[in-house]
This record gives sequence, C-alpha cells and structure tokens, in this order.
Amino acid sequence: MMGDVIETTQRAFVGVTEVWVPKDGRLIHATGDYGGRSAFEVASVVESFGPGEGLPGKAWAEARPVVLKGFDGSYFKRIEAAREAGLTSAVALPVFDGDELTAVLVVLCGDDDTTTGAIEVWKERDGLLLLEDGYYGAAKHFEWVSQHTHFPRGQGLPGGVWAAQTPILMRDLGSGYRFIRAESAGRAGLTTGLGLPVPVPGGETYVATLLSARGTPIARRFEIWDAREARVGKARGGKGGGCKGGGAVLIDGICEREGPLWNEDTPRRAAVWEGPVGQALGSGLPQVLSGAASVAAGYASMVALPIHRGGEVAHVVAWYV
Amino acid sequence: MQKLVVIGAGMASGRMLEHLFETVPDSYEVTLFNAEPRGNYNRIMLSPVLSGEKSYAEIVTHDEAWYESHGVHCRFGERVTGIDRDARVVRGENGDVPYDKLVIATGSTPFIVPLPGHDLDGVVAYRDLEDTNRMIEAAGPGRRAVVIGGGLLGLEAAAGLRLRGMEVTVVHLMGHLMERQLDEAAGYLLRRALGDRGIDVICSANSKEILGRDGKVRALMLDDGTELPCDILVMAVGIRPASALGKVAGVETGRGIVVDAQMRTSDPDILGLGECVEFDGQLFGLVAPLYDQAKVAAATLAGAPAAFRPREVSTKLKVTGCDLFSAGDFAEGEGREDIVFRDPGRGIYKRLVLRDDRIIGAVMYGDTADGNWFYGLMKDGTDVSDMRETLIFGPSFQGGAPADPMAAVAALPDDAEICGCNGVCKKDIVTAIGGGASTLDAIKATTKASASCGSCSGLVEQLLAVTLGDGFVRDTVKPVCACTDLTHEDVRRLIKSQELKSMPAVMQELGWRTSCGCHVCRPALNYYLLADWPLDYRDDPQSRLVNERNHANIQKDGTFSVMPRMWGGMTTPEELIAIAEAAKKFGAAVKVTGGQRIDLLGIRKEDLPEIWADLNDAGMVSGQAYTKGLRTVKTCVGSDWCRFGTQDSTGLGIKLEKRLWGAWTPHKVKLGVSGCPRNCAEATCKDVGVICVDSGYQVGVAGAAGMDVKETERLVDVATEEEAIEWTVAFVQLYRENARYLDRPYKWVAKVGLDWVKEVLVDPTARADLVARFDLSQTVYQKDPWAERTDAATRRAWAPLADLSQEAAE
Amino acid sequence: MNWIDIGALDDIPRRGARVVRTAEGCVAVFRTEADEVFALDDRCAHKGGQLSEGLVHGTRVTCPLHNWVYDLETGKVQGADRGEVATYSARIEEGRILLDPERLARRGAA
Repeated sequence: MMGDVIETTQRAFVGVTEVWVPKDGRLIHATGDYGGRSAFEVASVVESFGPGEGLPGKAWAEARPVVLKGFDGSYFKRIEAAREAGLTSAVALPVFDGDELTAVLVVLCGDDDTTTGAIEVWKERDGLLLLEDGYYGAAKHFEWVSQHTHFPRGQGLPGGVWAAQTPILMRDLGSGYRFIRAESAGRAGLTTGLGLPVPVPGGETYVATLLSARGTPIARRFEIWDAREARVGKARGGKGGGCKGGGAVLIDGICEREGPLWNEDTPRRAAVWEGPVGQALGSGLPQVLSGAASVAAGYASMVALPIHRGGEVAHVVAWYV
Repeated sequence: MQKLVVIGAGMASGRMLEHLFETVPDSYEVTLFNAEPRGNYNRIMLSPVLSGEKSYAEIVTHDEAWYESHGVHCRFGERVTGIDRDARVVRGENGDVPYDKLVIATGSTPFIVPLPGHDLDGVVAYRDLEDTNRMIEAAGPGRRAVVIGGGLLGLEAAAGLRLRGMEVTVVHLMGHLMERQLDEAAGYLLRRALGDRGIDVICSANSKEILGRDGKVRALMLDDGTELPCDILVMAVGIRPASALGKVAGVETGRGIVVDAQMRTSDPDILGLGECVEFDGQLFGLVAPLYDQAKVAAATLAGAPAAFRPREVSTKLKVTGCDLFSAGDFAEGEGREDIVFRDPGRGIYKRLVLRDDRIIGAVMYGDTADGNWFYGLMKDGTDVSDMRETLIFGPSFQGGAPADPMAAVAALPDDAEICGCNGVCKKDIVTAIGGGASTLDAIKATTKASASCGSCSGLVEQLLAVTLGDGFVRDTVKPVCACTDLTHEDVRRLIKSQELKSMPAVMQELGWRTSCGCHVCRPALNYYLLADWPLDYRDDPQSRLVNERNHANIQKDGTFSVMPRMWGGMTTPEELIAIAEAAKKFGAAVKVTGGQRIDLLGIRKEDLPEIWADLNDAGMVSGQAYTKGLRTVKTCVGSDWCRFGTQDSTGLGIKLEKRLWGAWTPHKVKLGVSGCPRNCAEATCKDVGVICVDSGYQVGVAGAAGMDVKETERLVDVATEEEAIEWTVAFVQLYRENARYLDRPYKWVAKVGLDWVKEVLVDPTARADLVARFDLSQTVYQKDPWAERTDAATRRAWAPLADLSQEAAE
Repeated sequence: MNWIDIGALDDIPRRGARVVRTAEGCVAVFRTEADEVFALDDRCAHKGGQLSEGLVHGTRVTCPLHNWVYDLETGKVQGADRGEVATYSARIEEGRILLDPERLARRGAA
C-alpha cells in the first residue's frame, strides 16, 4: 500500500539531492530532497549562483560534471550550513540539451567510516576513459584502483556506456561475477553500478557512475527508460486502437522490494508528462521527489534524470532511496 | 491423477507446465528431469548475464517455491539414460520413474565445428549457465577472445565479453553478419556499430584449425593463414536438435523428434516439445514458436483440441545500444518489391519487402520504433497498397497528429484555479496527492475540489495522472472532439482559470492537435469564449453554424425561413399586415408555430436582407428561431382577460422576452408563463416555466418537451414579479456560464444537481452578480441581427461572388 | 487559356466561402485561414446541401445539413462516409481570384 515508508535503518550514501535551474543569468533553486536536514534546506532554497560561482555555477560555466571533496576553504558557498548538516562532499552533474543548460543536479554526501559507495566521473582522453575524479566515501582502496584504471571503448561499465551511448545498470559487481575492478569492488562491498552518459556542449565524452554498496545503497531501486523516437516512435493522439507511440519504455531496472523491473515481452511504458519519469521527459528537467505517498513503491524519495541526445530526451534514469 | 514425466527444464517445458497447471491443475503428478543442475530459467537472457547487465537470479523463471506449490518432483542435474516404452518407464541416473504421459523437451545442443583442436581447454560452446560462467571466468582485462559465428548468439557473446573487458574478434563464414536475419546493408551497419565497441569482425572467413599449447587454446588459424591469438574461443555457429533420447525411446526422428500438430510423437503417449522437435520438416530456434508449441502440448495433455501452426517470427539482438529488428523473409526474389529508407547521418536503415501488396519481410536498423507495427501488418497479411507511399515512415504518418495529451495540464501554473465552486487551485490538489490522496474521491474529501458541481472532475483526474504516473487509471472520458483529449468541462474551466480570451489562445495553451479546430469544437469554443469574456472576445461568424451565421433557418432545399418576434405571443394588426405583405412579395409559405408566432418559409438567401428590411420597417425584429439563445416565451392570457388568471402572465412573459432575447446560450432556451395552475401556456415543460398563483410566482426549471419529455422542478417561490424576473435571469446566466455547449438546461441541471443550483442562487449577492453579468453581456449582444444586415454591404456579401451563367452560354 | 477573374480574395471571408453561379449550377469558392483558395461544386454528394454554407476548418469544410466533411483539395468525403464532389482549378494573382474556365465548361458536357 502506498504510504508505507521504508525503514531507514540503513544510512543513505547520498544525503541531499538538489536541482538548480537557470533563470535570468543565474542558477536558482528548483527542487530538492534534504532528508530532513531542514536548516540546510532553508539555507539552500534562498541561494543562487552566477556562472562559475559555487559548485553548481562551476559545473555550468565549465560545462562538465564536477566533484568536490571537502568544502572547507573551497569555492563552496554553503560551507557552514553543510558542516552543520554533516555534509562533506558533493558532485554536480550539468544537464545539457545540446548547448543549452537546462539544470544542474547536485548530490551531497556526508563522510564517515561506514558509508561505502562511489560516484565517479570519467572523461575521455586520447581514446580511453580515465577517471576525472570521484567521491568514494570509505572505499579508499577502490579509489586508488580506479585512479589507475583506464577503459577503452566498450570495456567495463564506463566503456560500455561510452560505446552504447546509453545508461547501463550492472548487477553484482562483487563476488561471483567478476566485474572489471571486481576484486577491489568486492572488498569495498560494492554491489551494483549505474553508468550514465553526461552530454556536454563541445562534444567531450563524460561518463558518470554511481556504485552502490549493500549497507549504504545509493539507491534501492533503479530504472532506465528509453525515450528515443527511434525506439518509441512519435506520440500519436486520438482514438482508435494500435500503438500510440511516444513516451518512454522501461528497458531495465531492479528494485529491492519488487525484484527485476524489466519485461522483454510487455515492458512498462510511461506517457510524456505521466508521473515523474513522464515529467522529466516532457520538461527535460531533473525531478526530485520526496514524501512517501507521491513516490512509487513506498520509497522515501526519488530522482528522475533526463539525458538529452540529438535534440530529444533520449533516456531517463531514475533512482529511489 | 496421471503421472507425467517431463525431460528437460527449458523455456518451452516451463511454459507448458504453467499452462497445464492453469487449465487442469489436479490432473497430473509431474516429475521434471533436467540435465543442467537447476530448474527453468530464461536462456535467452544469458547474454546480459554474461555481460554483467543482469544477474542469474533475475532470469530464473520458476523457483523452488513454484515447483513445491505445484507438487513437481524435481530431478535436476540428473541425466535420463533410457526410456522403456513398453513398460512406460523413464530411467534416470538416480532411479526409474513410471509415466502415463511423457514429454521430451531436451532442447538443442550447440554444434561444435569438428576443427582440429576443438577439444582443447578453453574452447566453449554458448548454451547454458555453465558455459556462461566459464566465459566470465576467462574474461579479464587484456585477455582475448575469439568468437566463431557472426549470428545472433555469437554477437551477443562478443558484446558481453567485450563489456567484461576482453579484446574480442568475431569470425564469420558468410559475407555479412546475421545473414539469416539481415540484408547486406543492415549487416554493414551492425558491423560498424560493433567496431565502435572495439569488437573486430572478420567476414568471409573460414576457420581452419584451433591451435593450442599445453592442452589449452592459444589461437585460431584461418584458411588464409591468419592467426588470431586468444585465451578463450567461443563456438556459436549453430544448434542441432537434441533428439538422441527420441532415438533411444524408439519414436520417429528425422533431424529432430518428429511430432504432429498436437505435439505427439509416433507414440501417442509421448510428446515432443521445443528445439528438439521437427514439425512438417521444420526446426525451431526462436522462442515465439516454442511458446506456441507449449500451449498446444498442454492442451493435448489436458485432452483439449489444439493445433500448432508455425508463424512469422521477429528477431531482436540483445546488444545494449544496438537497435535491430528483423522479421519475415527478405531474400531477393521474383515478384517482390522493396521499399528502403536510409538516413546515413543517423545510421538508420529500414527495408520492407512486399509481395502482392503485402509485407512479407522487414529489417530495421537504428530505428526500430515501428517494428511491431510492421510485424503486425505482416502477420495479418494486410493489403498495404493504400499506404504504399508513406508506409515506410510508420504509423504516425498514416494519420493522427502528434499528441501530448497531458502537457496542457502539466504546464498549468501552481495557482491555476481548478475548482471554481470551491476556489481550489492546482497546488492544493498536488499537495493533497502528495499527502496520500490518490483517487478523485480522496481529492474531493480533502480539498473539496469537484465536490460541488463536479464539472472540474476531468481536470482533477488529469492532475492525478500527471502526478502519480501510470499507477493512476482514469475512467474513459469523452473529449470534445478529435482535436483534443480534454472534455467540455475541462476546457470551460481552463478558459476561465487561465483567462484564455481568443481561439488561438485556447488552441495553443490547451494543446489542440489541429490548426483550426473542426466543426465540432469551433462552435463550442466560440460560445464559451463569448460567454466568459463578453467584452474581450468578439463573436466569430466563421465559427458559427449556417443558421446562426445567416440568422435564418436553412431548409432542405437551400432556402431559409424567416420568423419575426412576437413578444409573449401578442401581436397587432399592423404587424400582421406587414407579415402578410412580405409573404406575398416573396412568395412565402405561412405557418403558425408552436412558439406562438408566424414563420415565413421558402425565402432565398439573397432575398433575406430585403425581407428583413421590410419587416424592420414595420417595427419587427428577428425572432431568432435558429439561435442558441432565447427562442420564445409562451404565455396564456392571464389576469388581463382570463377569469382564472391570478397574475399578469402575458405582461411577465413579454418582460422576460424583452430582457432575455439576443443572449447566446449553450443551447436554445424556451420559457413559458402560465397565469394559473391550469397551465395553458404549458410552462411546466419549459427550460424555465413560471406558474402564477395568488401568492405570487412559482419558478420551475429544467423541463423538456422534445425527444425527452420532462416536468420542471421547483426552483423557488417568490412574491413579486421583480423577483421572478431576477431569479429567471440569474438562472439563465448561471446556465450560460457553466453548461456544456449543446446541453439544454435540463441536461445541465441533471449533471450539476438542482441542489447546487439552488445553493448558488439562494444567495442574494450571487444572484445580483449573475444578473449584472448578464446585463453586461446584453450591452454587447442584445441587438437585432436583421437590422445589422440589411445594408448594401451585406446584400453584396450574400449574393453570389460572380455570375458566369451568361458567359458560359456564350 | 484565359482564367476568369471572379472577384477579390478579400471578398471572401477567411474560413468562409462565396458562390459563383454558372449555367450548370453553383460553384463554392473557399478561402482558408492560410489564404488558399479552392473551388468545389456547391452541392453535397449526400443530399445536395450547400457546402458554401459549411464551417471551414484547416483545408476542410463540413456540410451544414448532415455534417459530411470534405477535403477541399480533392473534393473527397472524409471519414466513414463515401463520396466526392468535382473540384475546379483556382489560383490567386495580385489579390484576385481566377478560375479555370476549361474545367468549368466541361461540367456541362458530363
């Protein structure tokens, strides 16, 4: 029944997720899930950033994903409030539609020895994907391994995302199936990996990965929706039978409660504007929802992130905590 | 209960057992053998397991709990060594099982090319989970794999191994990849896409020998001497039906175990199912026909009639990021024609093969959105000759404009007023949904939206759909027309709350699918706009139906009828004389109507301005007998003349007619005023009917005397004539502002409820406001349309543009 | 071949029509929202209703009698009903509407 909130005895890796949108030359606060950190929320909703200013402004001006580990003494604007809220690091993902910035998604995490997970940003250089930076929580060994790993096109989660130009969800990073950095990942307890393309103007290739550990999952439910016209066709209105087209189709997903979400024969569909995924699709903007009743499957919060390619929203990736 | 033994726990047998347990749950006690040490799983999804994109646990189709709940005895990891048909016993490695019915579903075995070195360590087939795990074990960064076989399975293996970090080369005998499903052009695109993933492809390559070192594979050598070093070599060149057990059992086998259309082998108690069978000389390697077979086998076991018929199949390649669709037959041939579409910039290739105006084959690379649609046309054997020109562009080109049904509602600002009765805005409703209200009733209860007149319920439901997503199911509603998915009530509400004051504004903001609307919505929108914005919006004659535009009723022969007003049914000798002379002058037929006035029929359009002018000269105005507005106010003689008359019904009727005429309404409005309860004016079946009584006036509403006959319901009893007029005018204005276009008042009152109408009108301020708004609208619209159209300009506009009848004669 | 000038474009209201009388009956001349002109027989294939009195939407017109919808370019009835009316070539030159007389004359012959 909707309304049952999942017991958060397990600490979440991500503390805060926010969406900033451009308006009149600055980035202003659109939505966010603050996980109960009301003081930080209050400080954030009134903030705004010019190009190059603060973390969101940096991602905007430099047109790339940005990782910031440790706020003290940095260009971060909300240092005091973040410290009070126990947040120490952040990753900003710009959401571009071609050359135009539609939003910046910022994910803030708090350090402590138990939170295991990773958010990485990979960048292509000379035909290989190299780690640009990443936030690893307590998985220090994994961080070292990643810094010394490169992926050619098509190899590994980042290389696979790069070659296929589509988000990919890898299961079982650790024991049993040996993912490419699995030894290290296994030790760090990482279990699932979500890889996403981060399109930026200028054509450079960036791939972001979110690696989840069982104890402190980045998310308990992941969904990948394909919204390309080449896959779902054009929306057609009116009455009459036959396929209606448009919208997005769920091509992959797993959920701690429901199990596998994919269905080869009759995949789930969302029409444009229908639900948070449909809204991400229709508006081209990331959606962050919190409040048990409005989030599907009884989770506390969700993020739906649109990925633009070729002038359309090509995919929507959603994760639920 | 009969004993059923099933040998082989593949996808076909799993599906068969599902059907069996559904249809005849207690008929069979089932023992299930599987050579693999596990139960049924989705073998097709092994490729994503290989690549890491799925876990084995996710692809299991039937788990321990399922077998237990159906009482299946599982003998997994145990081979069947013999079948004794006489004794009706299956011999397993761990013991015998007797059977009444037996199903052999042993699947296929991968074909291993008998090259020298094929038995070296590190040479694997790609069939089951063991093979997959072996490949995963071997996979690692910097290690190399060679895959022999550029068909579906080989390419999926290659892609999976690449994702796992290996250097991969695919070696294919034929000239292009997947030659059984793709033509050369699509094969080329696929090869290019694989190359983009760092997978090398060599076509037209014949393998000669597998080279090893210390018993382990080290390279593949081709005919031309090329050596391809590898740590693992995958054979994916094809499968053969595993029909060995059929031979052992002694039933007829060809290339596979021969079965009939009921899936029976030559022994009626033994069925064959899946990849191991041969039917009508055909073998089956794709899952769709296997599922069909499973259904038939289950029916046969249940004693029900069924027959297997092989049908068209479609293929999809499971390589992430590669969009490929193929179905049917697309070899070159006589009498076939091709339709091809290419978009090189986007790497798109689509080809349809037609024969006798029917699609027999389809290949799609890069854009597979229409795959299922073409497949449907193919399966149904649809004649596509009508669509030939636009066929390749898919269903969206066959008609039906692009749609975004919920965009309008989603785009509404937070403060948009959704429920006018209770002042509930979008934000209130969305907040309520966030707080747990997930149905229309819940929203009604918490926010009061839709709790009064109910007209905004459509909009509320749209908001529920936008916010909750596909979890919320709407009742089917009837939209205004094909141009939109919104209902009349939705549109009326949005015109008010979004202050849409022109037709382009409505069509734009509410996402109309057409540029100009259609004959259904334009008149409706025209009415709604002029009713809500009498000063801002100007009536659009081109959105009016012919009668209203010409201010006369068109008859079946193209002539028109002319009906001057006769206030309250009273006339004068002068008026009658003018009518008679007009009738003579224009040769009209004369009819007395039920509305207590006179109709002149048979007037040509070009004569209308003149006859109107003549009647205007006698002081008469248009009776608007064609209008969606006030038609007539029928009266009886009342206290002026009648011995029973309690009040001056005629006088009241005339006053009402003079007040109300000229206003556009959702549909025609007819009034009646009777001087006493004998009701000679038939007031009790009118839209508003007043019965005069000694104490005053009984105002009734919502009567009907057309296709439906209905008595009026009492709205209010008042003491004075002024109050009777005030209530009537207020009611008419409420009707004007809220009803659906083409709903008579009785229909509207049935929808919103008389109680609600009373609730609104009982408040003196609300009544006064309604009357004020009505009078404001009348300052614009209460004017004689005839008088406006007797001038020369109108006469010209209504005459033919040109007369060529003389010229043609020359 | 001399096209016949039958009047000014502005003599026809947008999304409306005027009638041209000929020896063999009337021709309805339509002007769409986008200022295109079309000429069709002013007689519905159903029961002879005057298409010139119908509501014009897009490049279609709905007969005022029983709502049959015609495509102005082809003269064909749309939707479930079947039928068509003759169409005549029309064009605009410097704000004047010209009709093709040859096609018009042929009407009589048929």
